[in-house]
Amino acid sequence: MEFTSLVFYIFSAILLLASLRVITAKNPVHAALSLVLAFFTAGCLWMLLEAEFLAITLVLVYIGAVMVLFLFVVMMLDINIEEMRRGFWENLPLAALVAILMMVEMATVLGGSRFGLTPPAPKPADYSNTRELGLQLYTDYVYPFELAAVILLVAMVAAIALTLRRRPGRKWVDPAEQIKVKRNDRLRLVSMAPQKPAAPKAAEEEEA
Amino acid sequence: MTPLNLTPALPEIFVLALACVVLLVEAFSKKPEWSYTLTQLTLVGAGAITLLTAEAGKVYAFNGMFVDDLMGDVLKLVSYAAAIVAVAYSRAYLSERAMFRGEYFVLVLFAVLGMMVMISASHFLTLYLGLELLSLSLYTLVALQRDSMVASEAAMKYFVLGALASGFLLYGMSILYGMTGSLELTKVVAAVEQGSSSLLAFGLVFVVAGLAFKLGVAPFHMWVPDIYHGAPSAVTLFIGSAPKLAAFAIVMRLLVDGLHPAVGDWQQMLAIMAVLSLMIGNLAAIMQSNLKRMLAYSTIAHMGFLLLGVLADSYAGYSAAMFYVITYALMSLGAFGMVVYLSRAGFEAENLDDFKGLNARHPWLAAVMAMVMLSLAGLPPFVGFYAKLTVLQALVGAGWLWLAVIAVIFSLIGAFYYLRVVKLMYFDAPHANDLAPSGEADVRALLSLNGLGVLVLGLVPQPLLALCAYAIQTSIQ
Amino acid sequence: MLENYFPVLLFILVGLAVGVLPMVMGWVLAPSRPDSEKLSPYECGFEAFEDARMKFDVRYYLVAILFILFDLEIAFLFPWAVVLEEIGTFGFVAMVLFLAILVVGFVYEWMKGALDWE
Repeated sequence: MEFTSLVFYIFSAILLLASLRVITAKNPVHAALSLVLAFFTAGCLWMLLEAEFLAITLVLVYIGAVMVLFLFVVMMLDINIEEMRRGFWENLPLAALVAILMMVEMATVLGGSRFGLTPPAPKPADYSNTRELGLQLYTDYVYPFELAAVILLVAMVAAIALTLRRRPGRKWVDPAEQIKVKRNDRLRLVSMAPQKPAAPKAAEEEEA
Repeated sequence: MTPLNLTPALPEIFVLALACVVLLVEAFSKKPEWSYTLTQLTLVGAGAITLLTAEAGKVYAFNGMFVDDLMGDVLKLVSYAAAIVAVAYSRAYLSERAMFRGEYFVLVLFAVLGMMVMISASHFLTLYLGLELLSLSLYTLVALQRDSMVASEAAMKYFVLGALASGFLLYGMSILYGMTGSLELTKVVAAVEQGSSSLLAFGLVFVVAGLAFKLGVAPFHMWVPDIYHGAPSAVTLFIGSAPKLAAFAIVMRLLVDGLHPAVGDWQQMLAIMAVLSLMIGNLAAIMQSNLKRMLAYSTIAHMGFLLLGVLADSYAGYSAAMFYVITYALMSLGAFGMVVYLSRAGFEAENLDDFKGLNARHPWLAAVMAMVMLSLAGLPPFVGFYAKLTVLQALVGAGWLWLAVIAVIFSLIGAFYYLRVVKLMYFDAPHANDLAPSGEADVRALLSLNGLGVLVLGLVPQPLLALCAYAIQTSIQ
Repeated sequence: MLENYFPVLLFILVGLAVGVLPMVMGWVLAPSRPDSEKLSPYECGFEAFEDARMKFDVRYYLVAILFILFDLEIAFLFPWAVVLEEIGTFGFVAMVLFLAILVVGFVYEWMKGALDWE
């Protein structure tokens, strides 16, 4: 067995275990953390396929951002997973049967050989997957690239339209206003006519 | 790298630029009235540009990812028109429900852009991105009424099932890519001609399932009634009209343009789905007491009918399907438009009972609604009759006599529930809850025009039929 | 190409060893005599009132989702920066357009007050 195959099997085993934990963990936060592990090992597998940019993006975007969002949501909702999992064991036999049947069907139709693919030769050490991707993405694929920007824009509008709520009556300080403040807004110099102190009067009383 | 030819994509660029402008106007002015006007102007402008750049024959751009042909131009023009009408109908409804916000119009524009991208896609990637752009905008539109539990639930269902469907489609496309080595439809079709068949069928199953989800045909129809019912009526109005055109376009692009060598495989799948849709749609619609739900089931049946035209696999069949989807969009706008028009603040005219005795109070509105209903039922002289007739002719011409017979039987069953609406409006005592239309005079005029259009197109269907036939002949090889 | 990443693999292995070994050693070697008092959480002598995990404010969600969007945008910048000299003006303009579309969104969210933490 080649070394890369060995690494592949180790990563695959970790990926499978982590995915299993995602769906079996009792605590949703633990499930989300297992998902982080699953994403990371998937990134390692992509790296084995010489897709280095995608592997790094997977770590950067999915682990760095999407999973953070997942954790927020999980923590925000405070899900009672026991409640949701009621009926799990009753439905398990049927679900397992369907899943196994589907897997067998797919395996019979989809032998790897049917695609007629031969494994590509390993790339030399100075080969940069990122560069190849860049050469295609910004020239030949410029139309889908700009469409991706539009989809991101719609996502932005959607997120704001659906979750942004003004809360009237909240007390808060606008830092911009704070910085913009001038001396004259806070301090007022009032010129007053000089007054004589009242001390001599008290002295007179003492004398009297 | 080939030099860039932007001319075919001018309408898309225009809509994108103006959608950004509307977004900025909303951000700075916070006057939704401006967004409304600008949106309508954008759609009209896009229509003008599409008309001016329309020509027979296929023009490819962006390295074969974008195709401009007459079928696409016609479908785009109808989509703009449907969006214009839908937005106009919705104005009063939205302002009564605190949804008259710039975001609504921006999302409608982006949804239209997504449809345009889908209609003009000749590449798996652009097709998928267009679909996602449309879907993402629609999910948000459904959820826009934030304080309504029903709408939020509908949006959630729509999102989850839509994501599942996108996953199906993507999985099928990736298998086809693995088999053919290309994402470009013109190259896919060349590769499929020599490809292995079992793998092709496997990928095809997923692609067809994904498309069926998006079209809303049985057995992938579960989302349709809940979303149509739960979404605010103004959004249902939009979802029920223009996106059907785009869905038809991607069926044509994927199955006819891209996978035509596998026609024997997908014909069978479409036949099963069409029969199921006709059955489930028409039978379930009878049992509904909510008009929006009834129309949702009727949509399922109509989309099944549409598939019959596609599976006939001839120019006649394709152009019949195109005629069908265009006229369906028109009728759907009329029916949902009436629901929106009769609703007012705090009251949704969505139950069948609400339409009782409409004739006694608003005879003209009842007449318009009756025309739309009779057309949906497929009775002459309305346009729905010709739509069904041309599909059936194409079907019989292609030798699918048994399917045509089934279609006729279920259409007859389906006519019952449309006629029930007519009966409620004309022969039942008025409901205690009086309907007081809130819309303005221009909306009323537009609605009348919509209803009359159903009649006029039914009396003179030839121009549109000829246009569809010509568009299909120049666009499909 | 993969040989470039061999040091990374080694690093992961060594890092795992450094992280996991002490825990395993502690677990194996240390005396362990648990009882219920030792295992129960200590909260100033009271029984614990509630779960240690608090609910998050929904506003974090908006911040996180906006962060993801711009994070994705950044991901597109990496390959662009690598090949900028080869793709020339065309690639430059493509990225400017991409950024311009997102800047429209940025202006929108700023003006809407989505970035304010009120």
